[in-house]
Amino acid sequence: MLHTTVDKEPEPTVHLQGEMDLDCAETLRWAVGDAAVGAQEVVLDFAGVRFIDSSGTGIFVRLCLDMQQRGIRLHVRNLTPAVAQVFDMLRVRELVGEEVFAG
Amino acid sequence: MSETKRPATLRVFRYEAADSTLRPIIGDAVLPLSRDELVKLARDAMAQRTFVVHAVPGSGQADELCFIPSDDRCEILSIHSNGWHRHYGDHRRSLMQILNDLAAAVACSRLRLLDDHELRLELDRARPTLSFAITDSATLAEARTRLGDALELLGIEGARREETVLCASEAATNALVHGGGGGTVSLIPFDDRVRVVVADSGPGLNFLNWLEAPAKRAQASMGYGYKIILDHIDRVCLHTGTSGTTLILDQLI
Repeated sequence: MLHTTVDKEPEPTVHLQGEMDLDCAETLRWAVGDAAVGAQEVVLDFAGVRFIDSSGTGIFVRLCLDMQQRGIRLHVRNLTPAVAQVFDMLRVRELVGEEVFAG
Repeated sequence: MSETKRPATLRVFRYEAADSTLRPIIGDAVLPLSRDELVKLARDAMAQRTFVVHAVPGSGQADELCFIPSDDRCEILSIHSNGWHRHYGDHRRSLMQILNDLAAAVACSRLRLLDDHELRLELDRARPTLSFAITDSATLAEARTRLGDALELLGIEGARREETVLCASEAATNALVHGGGGGTVSLIPFDDRVRVVVADSGPGLNFLNWLEAPAKRAQASMGYGYKIILDHIDRVCLHTGTSGTTLILDQLI
């Protein structure tokens, strides 16, 4: 199960904790939507994510693309090795843009 | 979705040289060419010992036939397209890419397609030491944890363990989303490998459903789960039909 906490300061950040699989969509969207209120950039901190699969990755990719369409930039931080491996495998950087992973 | 409306589908046939039989393994028995033509092409591929791709053009449709020979048989993958190649231009994989990857995996002996008899033989080799019923995402998460623990006890650690758990989870997710709402994950240790069996009683894979997730989980499918499995499991066996789908994942120790 995915748990999230949102910090508004110093920059809107969603801290992710747990597992990202087929049922993380609602939790992730709600948290990012909350963090994005009045913001143009939101940080997703993956430090607490111990598992992700192709379903969780698909949800993350779709969220990134939806946010980009709304003019909100997502930035990813602290990818764990487990997440980084799956993102590399599925070429997520090509799908959402290298800038999501910059900084 | 009716067969005629599907943008693409896969049928698999097997030609066995010993008794010159040609029979369906996956999908219905509609032959993409005449039996004589298929047998001739299968024999040619076996004589050349080469993976042969044969295109059958039609009006707005196409069949791509992959002949994959082994010593005594030839698997024939018939990829039928109604002129549709990509999936709405979004990030998900094209169905044709999936089907071609499957053909390549069979050719490389990473994927074995099983008929009913072969599935029974494989499942009768040993009894599972662990078995989990998967009915929702909570039971799936629990199965991942317990499977990971069991693999560690069997000496599969680190990245290899994580990859195996990931692949089992991908297969079980497929059972949840497309396999009638659930299934079972079983672990069978052998001397030289561990085997994870993921089985469901759903309507069978039509391969299109790897891209077309049900509406309530419309974001959940990228069509990549199978690729993760084929890339990280040493040997994969697949049986699918109207009474369900079974994936056997063998990871060498």
